[in-house]
Amino acid sequence: MSLIERGITFFQKNRLSKQKQKLKGESYEYLFNVIPDEFVCFDCETTGLNTKKDKIITLSAIKVVGHEVLTSQSLNLVIKQERKISADSIAIHQIRNLDVANSSFIYLDEFSAIQDFLAFIQGRTLVGYYLDFDVSMVNRVIKPVLGIDLPNPRIETSAMFHEYTRQKYKRSCIEPNIDLSFSHILKTLQIPNMGQHDAYNDALMTAFIFVKLKRLLAEGNKP
Amino acid sequence: MALIQQREFLSKITPFTELPNDLLNQLADSMDIVYLPERTEITFQNELALLYILIKGKVTEYRDEEVTSHYSVRGFFGDSAILEKSQSHVKFVVDEEAIAYKLPAGKFLHAFNEHEAFADFFNASIVEKLNRIHETQQTATSTEVMMDTVISAPIQKLVSVTQKASILEATQAMTDARSDACLVEFSEGESGIITSTDILKFVALGETDRINAPSGVQSICNRPVYSVHEFDYLFNALLKMTRFQIDRLAVRSDLGFVGFLHQKDLMSLFANQSGLVLTKVEKSTTVEDLIGIGEQVDAMVHNLNRKGIKTHYIAKLVNELHRKMIAKLVEFILPETLQEKVCLFVMGSEGRSEQVIRTDQDNALIYDNELNAEQLTQLHAFTKAFTENLMKMGFPPCPGNIMLSNPEWCQSQASFSQTVEGWFDESTEGSFMNAAILFDAEFVFGESHWLNDIKRLLIHLNIKHSNFLRHFAIQSLKFNTPVGFFGGLIADSESGIEVIDIKKGGIFSIVHGIRCYALELGIKATNTHWRIKALMDAGVFEQEFGIELGETLNFLNTLRLESMLHQLDSGVELPDNKIRLAELSHMQQDLLKQSFNVVDVFKKRLSHHFGLNGML
Repeated sequence: MSLIERGITFFQKNRLSKQKQKLKGESYEYLFNVIPDEFVCFDCETTGLNTKKDKIITLSAIKVVGHEVLTSQSLNLVIKQERKISADSIAIHQIRNLDVANSSFIYLDEFSAIQDFLAFIQGRTLVGYYLDFDVSMVNRVIKPVLGIDLPNPRIETSAMFHEYTRQKYKRSCIEPNIDLSFSHILKTLQIPNMGQHDAYNDALMTAFIFVKLKRLLAEGNKP
Repeated sequence: MALIQQREFLSKITPFTELPNDLLNQLADSMDIVYLPERTEITFQNELALLYILIKGKVTEYRDEEVTSHYSVRGFFGDSAILEKSQSHVKFVVDEEAIAYKLPAGKFLHAFNEHEAFADFFNASIVEKLNRIHETQQTATSTEVMMDTVISAPIQKLVSVTQKASILEATQAMTDARSDACLVEFSEGESGIITSTDILKFVALGETDRINAPSGVQSICNRPVYSVHEFDYLFNALLKMTRFQIDRLAVRSDLGFVGFLHQKDLMSLFANQSGLVLTKVEKSTTVEDLIGIGEQVDAMVHNLNRKGIKTHYIAKLVNELHRKMIAKLVEFILPETLQEKVCLFVMGSEGRSEQVIRTDQDNALIYDNELNAEQLTQLHAFTKAFTENLMKMGFPPCPGNIMLSNPEWCQSQASFSQTVEGWFDESTEGSFMNAAILFDAEFVFGESHWLNDIKRLLIHLNIKHSNFLRHFAIQSLKFNTPVGFFGGLIADSESGIEVIDIKKGGIFSIVHGIRCYALELGIKATNTHWRIKALMDAGVFEQEFGIELGETLNFLNTLRLESMLHQLDSGVELPDNKIRLAELSHMQQDLLKQSFNVVDVFKKRLSHHFGLNGML
């Protein structure tokens, strides 16, 4: 069973139909129409790490189909901030208040931005590195309006990497100590670093990691 | 924020560099990224064509199962399919896992149609492409003073008097203009120059009563006037000053003299390595000083090449330095009593000013017929010390032992002439090689006219032995040009790495072929580029062909130089003439193929000219 198939087990299907019933209004039903073999890698930069209180500053999402990363159709959202961005998070992703103010198109509130995000992802499978965090950030925004969390299937790249590394050690009885840091994954998979740490780049790197691991795992599963 | 790196990536690739920003951004924003695992095959026959630009990995192009190209980072392919230039049966195979940008054909064609300079690249001749590479490299790096033109340096005002002027008048003209030099114009259109030193010498002579004498300037002025064109490189100006050991050059425009360029002004601009090394040689006082300079020359070569300076300019500078270093060495270790009884010269690539990385030494010495036994012993000791010290200075010994420590290359005037005559009588491969090496000789130390005599003898003997030149010329066809029937490169495999011996493949044929033409016409220049220029002036080569041949040689030499520098960096002590295909960009490979085509055209021309067709 492939990872993607594993993502939609019977149990989940059951859960999904329950969720669908909870969905307020029919206009977002498209989220439940799974588009097979199409993926969206996404990453957010936020004002902090608290998924209940902190806000999304930028969100980048890139479609992946087969071996291709469709950068020409990427989505890049910038959201206006009511409160100043904390100094700590500036240090991580180098977005200053000035940058947000200078972006050509800025969403005034989080929900209108996330609406466009939902239209972009449709029923595609979401892919990310520590995806839970990014999905929680989105869920916080949509739950009050839609009544549900994101129903899309998900793939966690660090989990894929874990599985790939374990496959390599299959014949040994030693449980390997696997380094799941982003930089280590990039290095192991020999993916060129494309630039600075921002939402778009992280999403792009994640897309590369995903495409490569997808192939490596498929090869590893061959008899 | 998002697509910045994509735009940046594209903006650094020739010819996308030609595109205006908005068009470039449009292209960059329309690119997708594709992951290409090893052994992926791409053909453009059935699907819509695309331009692939590699971010990572290696791809090989096959035409009818023959390898025609290799692509690596920043290489792109698919353009000929989009432009419908290529015939079918072309496929691209991923050799090493690749990540590439995909640019839609429509966007590419849009840029191609909108922007002439961009389109030109895909239609350009080899000369244009090469020049463009040098230009991009030159603009991409910081401004290098050496490559500025003379006119950009501080030039002193022109002061001139006619030949009828008195010394006083000339001195007053100099004082008025605050200049320390003055040109003297002669009625027959020639010129001389007077400097403040000449005035000082005149005063020191105590004949100041002549100061008002008409035409007094004629007695103290110097001729010829060394000059440099205002649009020439500053680097050439410095070379001239070093070579003739003068402090100033007259600057001329197409219309005549315009001013003076001073060494001190020039040196203040050259507050960098290259200028420094030149002066260091000049100031050296011991053999140890010279040994230290060897390494600095290598570092300088590295630097200049990185700045995109054409290899033959670098070679000119380096060889000037080498000759100065050798002359200094002779000065230091040759007993003074012998200094006027020898003629020492360099030959082969060093003589042609084409050796950039010191890979060997070819030198010889002619001595006076009348040396006594004691002097001969002294000379023998000198030759031994000379070769040893040259090795310490970083000139590896010549594998063919063409060094003056070998008695065959250290003979008296009379016996050397006899040896040369002997070469023409035997006509063996060895004697051809010796004649070739000697014909490229350039004087370094001592009695220069002895070498001139020998060279005259060489040209004379060649005329006398009418068959010699044909056998001499056939050597340039000795090696096959490494291109296949379909224009692909033919490489040798060395433990899995594809290499081409670029000297055998192209450089040797051009250098030797041109040497044959030069010998036939008795051209004195030894440098291949100067010989080509002389052949163009003589009407033997059309302008276009001469320039193409020169640029081709330059490109091949640049590839060789880069490969050698790379080898030196990785710890190889004596670099070879091989280039590794995988290390070349696609553009370089493309140019390499075209270069070899030029070599082939030249070989055909040579066969025809010297009637070699029936001899192979």
